Amino acid sequence: MLGIPTKSKHTKGHNMNEKTLDFIEPETSVKVLKVTGQKSSRKRILDMGLTPGTRVDVIRRAPLGDPVEFKLKGYNLSLRKREAETVLVEVLK
Amino acid sequence: MTEKITVALAGNPNVGKTSIFNAITGSKQHVGNWPGVTVERKIGKRVYNDVMMEIVDLPGTYSLTAYSLDEIIARDFIIEEKPDVVVQVIDATNLERNLYLTTQLMELGVRLVIALNMTDLALAKGDNIDEKKMQEFLEVPVVSTIGSKGNGIEGLLEAAIDELHKTRVTENVFTYDDQIEENVEKLRAVLESDPYFAHYPSRWFSLKLLEGDENIIKKAKESNSYSEIQKIMNQTDAEILEAKVADQRYKTIQTMLRQVCNINTSHLSGSDMVDRVVTNKVLGIPIFLSLMWAAFEVTFTFGTPFMNIIDIFFGWLAETATNVISVPWLASLVGEGMIAGVGSVIIFLPNILLLFFMISLMEDSGYMSRAAFIMDKVMSKFGLHGKSFIPLVMGFGCNVPAIMAARTIEDSRDRLITILVAPFISCGARLPVYILLAGAFFGRDAGVVIFGLYALGIMVAVLSAKLMRSTILKGEDTPFIMELPSYKLPTLKGSLIHMWERGKIYLKKAGTIILIGVVGVWLLASIPAPGSNGTFASEEVYGTTKSVIGMIGQVLEPLVAPLGFDWKIAVALVFGVVAKEIVVGSMGVLYGVGEDEESLSNILAAGAMTPLAALGLMVFTLLYVPCFACIGVIKRETGSWKWTLFQLIYGTSLAWGFAFVIYQGGTRMGLLA
Amino acid sequence: MTRSYGNKEITFAALAGVLYAFFGLLHIVEGLGIDTGMAGLLFIPGDILGGFCLLVIGAVFLNGLREMLQGINAGVSFVYVGILMSLIFMAVYLLIMGGNLLDSFLVPDDYEGWSVMESFRPGIYLGLLSLIGILYWKDSFSSNEVLVFLEGA
Ligand SMILES: Nc1nc2c(ncn2[C@@H]2O[C@H](COP(=O)(O)OP(=O)(O)OP(=O)(O)O)[C@@H](O)[C@H]2O)c(=O)[nH]1
Repeated sequence: MLGIPTKSKHTKGHNMNEKTLDFIEPETSVKVLKVTGQKSSRKRILDMGLTPGTRVDVIRRAPLGDPVEFKLKGYNLSLRKREAETVLVEVLK
Repeated sequence: MTEKITVALAGNPNVGKTSIFNAITGSKQHVGNWPGVTVERKIGKRVYNDVMMEIVDLPGTYSLTAYSLDEIIARDFIIEEKPDVVVQVIDATNLERNLYLTTQLMELGVRLVIALNMTDLALAKGDNIDEKKMQEFLEVPVVSTIGSKGNGIEGLLEAAIDELHKTRVTENVFTYDDQIEENVEKLRAVLESDPYFAHYPSRWFSLKLLEGDENIIKKAKESNSYSEIQKIMNQTDAEILEAKVADQRYKTIQTMLRQVCNINTSHLSGSDMVDRVVTNKVLGIPIFLSLMWAAFEVTFTFGTPFMNIIDIFFGWLAETATNVISVPWLASLVGEGMIAGVGSVIIFLPNILLLFFMISLMEDSGYMSRAAFIMDKVMSKFGLHGKSFIPLVMGFGCNVPAIMAARTIEDSRDRLITILVAPFISCGARLPVYILLAGAFFGRDAGVVIFGLYALGIMVAVLSAKLMRSTILKGEDTPFIMELPSYKLPTLKGSLIHMWERGKIYLKKAGTIILIGVVGVWLLASIPAPGSNGTFASEEVYGTTKSVIGMIGQVLEPLVAPLGFDWKIAVALVFGVVAKEIVVGSMGVLYGVGEDEESLSNILAAGAMTPLAALGLMVFTLLYVPCFACIGVIKRETGSWKWTLFQLIYGTSLAWGFAFVIYQGGTRMGLLA
Repeated sequence: MTRSYGNKEITFAALAGVLYAFFGLLHIVEGLGIDTGMAGLLFIPGDILGGFCLLVIGAVFLNGLREMLQGINAGVSFVYVGILMSLIFMAVYLLIMGGNLLDSFLVPDDYEGWSVMESFRPGIYLGLLSLIGILYWKDSFSSNEVLVFLEGA
């Protein structure tokens, strides 16, 4: 539910490839554009290496659909969709 | 005269910090808490080359921001206590993210030594790391280690001592963009002119101010130059700046990595392969559940004979003591009070040790975070963390190790909620009560009733968690950002140390509370009630109307009468706090049938209580004050009597409420009549 | 990319998968109170939860088999994890058996007419299969980190 407005906002953007991280299907690679969200979680996400320009591979969703596992900078990270929603990314071809 | 120095051990979680700590200090370590909080603090000692080192294990952190308690502790220790040397343990298979913390430690201007750990795994993976170049680039000594085998520890200690004797300490500089640098310089000028800040590394402090770090701003507010500082701070946008700073740090790291190592990223690693299976969409949850079953069986079924050994031993000891001591009251005090008390502490040790051995295997191998990953969706519905699942499941065996298992949950609020609701999970000790009462009153439906009680326990636990999350423990949600570390081979030694550590904490901290509780109840049951003419601790007084506890039962009777309980039940419930299974035994004594359960159930079914009251009693037993052992570990793990008391009152009110509704509601509606 | 598995892996997965799944089902069926007549012969008393675990191990092997037959290279990882799990359960059952034996000396009254074979379970003898599997493929597995992981477990 919470994700819907975010989705429409970012899929209507100029760049059709611009999405929030929670909408990316597994086995896709993306590039981070921006981290939004509340200060504390934003800072932590940045600290974990999701800085603009970083390549992130979406690995899989948990069996129940949430959280999601990513690979970046050579290690694996998992975020709940709620956190992934705050990361704006561009899909890499 | 030997030199005395303090060495702080820093690093990301899962990098082998504990292994290095154990390898350095051996068994000379002390586990306690950081002042004022329940974050664990380990300190160890080691003498090397005539230098006496005190090793302080800092909490594992990814960064040094002010957003998590762990980070604040680590950071404050470094800037306020100023350890002589900081050793950062780095996972060589995961350099980029590990070095992020390094950049922050360097900015703090500490004397830093890097332990490049897991070099064996990096080698196996095909990574090639040039430590010499890394050392040159960072201007910080780098020593390769293999924590699990204890390799490279001496070299590390030597490097730490050498570093101490170097005169130069550079406040190592990472240059950020011009605008940031300009503001940093302005702030530094202000800070350096105010003696209040002399204690702090000025460059770092300036950067933190610009990043809008609340903790640091709070410190700055207490100075006289704050208005000036604020002016400069207002010229920058903290949000943009913090992204830039993080970005710049990672860029510097990347530049360095390109020069010092060659990382093999091509192949599907062993970890990825295992993950494909254990987090598989269909099989992931069944695999997790079957592993839970295995852990449960080992903890409780394999633990049984060891509990029996303890039981038999203390039974024998109590009997011997009773026979040897000729003064009856003293014999009873020693036998039934003290020895039984000590026994009731130690009886839980097998379960605790076994469970922690297995938890340690799960944590060290890396499976624990997968378990959290798999279960998080379910648990987050109730405001809990994926890692809360394991403590709750273990609660079915015994709540005591379950509450201690909540330690694995990093976030303090998630941990607190898990601890507070864990006692509602129906443990093995409540089962004898159900079996007796359900058997006596519900005959063929006993199984359904017992199943219902277990289900009720689960429901009360998860709904209470939800309730607490949205009321008393509300607040900004902590973001769920969890690393899934690569799988590693746990070491037997590491797991044994961990297990023993937990056992020791339990005995020392929870043990006293349990002992006092048990002996206290014995006293209440033995002291003759004022006005009665029995003798202290005599058979005729112990636990009857003639004792203080009997008097208490009668005082309590009006309170429990609406539930259909008489004073005997009230007394049995008081005894039940010693251990819930005692409820049955004491009812036997109170109803004058002794240990014989069959005649007890006959008496009860013949009209001593109604089926509704029996149902209420089972529910009451499930929910009210947990046993002393639980109370002891709740106190130890929450570090607060307030929360312990809260649990007791909350649980007992719920128990009373449920039993009331069952008895009164059922009677009105003519159920089970 | 070379295939990391051959016919031996496929045969092993099929055999272990079918055996574990079958014995797991028997445990469950017995646990539901249906007498299959195999309880005495194959040491399969009713045990729903234990049966579930064996069934899961069987499913892991069979899923690996399915993927390998489809030519998915990483399918063999299911075989590795299956082996690991079967060894874990073998260890667990052995521990329980040892525990029961010890307990029977401590509180003989609770164990009247009990013999240690009552704690002997398919989880134990099926585990031998995995043990053989591991020894047999040691060389072909050892280039892989997973085996490093397996060996110490
Ligand atoms: N192969 C290998 N394994 C290691 C090495 N150092 C530690 N380990 C293993 O890595 C796992 C985690 O080690 P710990 O020492 O518990 O790591 P930690 O940093 O203390 O982890 P947390 O307590 O969770 O922060 C254990 O299974 C260790 O046996 C190493 O150099 N090589």
